[in-house]
Amino acid sequence: MAGNLLTATAAIARKDLKVEWRTKTAFMSSLVFAVLVLAVLYFARDKTSVGDFDIAPGALWVTFTFAGMLGLNRAFLLERENRALDGLRLTPVTPTALFLGKVIGNLIFLGVVELVSLPLFILFYDVPIWRQLPILLAVVALATVGYVAVGTLLSAMVVRTRFSEVMLPVLLLPFLVPPIVSAVQLTWRILALRPLSELTGWLSLLAAFDVIFFTLSLLLFEAILIE
Amino acid sequence: MAASEAAVRVHDVSRRFGHRWVVRNVSMEVFPGEAVLLVGGNGAGKTTLLRVLAGLLRANRGTVDHRGMVGMVAHHTMMYDALTARENLTFYTRLHGLPRDGRGDRLIERLGLAHAADQRIATFSRGMLQRLAIARSLLHDPDVLLFDEPLTGLDDAASRIVLDVIRELKARGAALLIATHQLVELVGETARVGYMVSGRLAALEPIGGRDAGGVVSRYKELVTDGR
Repeated sequence: MAGNLLTATAAIARKDLKVEWRTKTAFMSSLVFAVLVLAVLYFARDKTSVGDFDIAPGALWVTFTFAGMLGLNRAFLLERENRALDGLRLTPVTPTALFLGKVIGNLIFLGVVELVSLPLFILFYDVPIWRQLPILLAVVALATVGYVAVGTLLSAMVVRTRFSEVMLPVLLLPFLVPPIVSAVQLTWRILALRPLSELTGWLSLLAAFDVIFFTLSLLLFEAILIE
Repeated sequence: MAASEAAVRVHDVSRRFGHRWVVRNVSMEVFPGEAVLLVGGNGAGKTTLLRVLAGLLRANRGTVDHRGMVGMVAHHTMMYDALTARENLTFYTRLHGLPRDGRGDRLIERLGLAHAADQRIATFSRGMLQRLAIARSLLHDPDVLLFDEPLTGLDDAASRIVLDVIRELKARGAALLIATHQLVELVGETARVGYMVSGRLAALEPIGGRDAGGVVSRYKELVTDGR
């Protein structure tokens, strides 16, 4: 049983990544978007009144959030083409395996987008990141897990609607307020070299969001799949 | 045949979309080794009935039971354009939890697609996609096959291959329910015909020596009676 779950989960994640590798549709869109947002926010400010520290955390998370949205949208649109989701439902694959496979595929996709965007962020914004990189990456990972879990659930929910590309941000963004606010606060404190004790509250909020929303998304996914 | 031997048992199944009943009070049985043809005009409810039998749609009323596993060929391929024919079948082999014993390759060959096994299916013609969809539906040796217009887009040679496959399936004891408008080719393969009129199964009767023209005449009679 557990073996089947693992096999199916891995097969779904691998398939999603292989399709994305071949087409690069979502990746290229996300990357172009990330470069554009980082550049626009960099050039839009008056450097004498708005410092790098003030704008960098927000710029980073606006980039990650909206660039990730493009990938999340794609995750289930893929299953709508040729009604592939029906094909999945005709197999013994459980909703849990499908959800986990999609989450893993999305996590790897978003992880790659984030890893490619981060050097651009460093390039544009003069912030002392290198010593703080491990803790910053941990925060990025923590925020991304919750984001992807809720995003995957909602992406499956809106895929049958006519305007799914529009519906996903509308539904997802309210859910993202707690993790994105936490991530911005944490990023600001990390870049400002604040003591670890100042991070724990926000880290706890981020971790709680992950646990609650990952569990809820997993439990609700089966109901979403039923037509 | 005794009722207990039925591979598919449908009891008083109805399905509606919104306020419109698309399938109404359908009851039928399909037995192992038997092919039942489902005929009816556009919008008669054939596809919806097959989707309910496959478990892709829930019946609003009534029950569906099948013995063993179900395979389905529908209007859409349920596969991924960016993957090759072989990769698509390997993916579904994994999802079914089957050993990778070359069954996908054998089916590709059986359906005359060996020359295109490593081509992305985005490059396939309609007929090639249809044959690949049939290969997908057979991967797990299903006991019940639901075919929705299986000969669509096929040339004579490809139709002959699919008709041979249908004969083989009957010979190994699979139960087939085939919705089609292509009566000339398929009438000879079936023992009984179900006539769908406005969502109802107006009659389910032995083919009784009728040819395609005879089936059409009988259908017209039932449509007239139903008015």
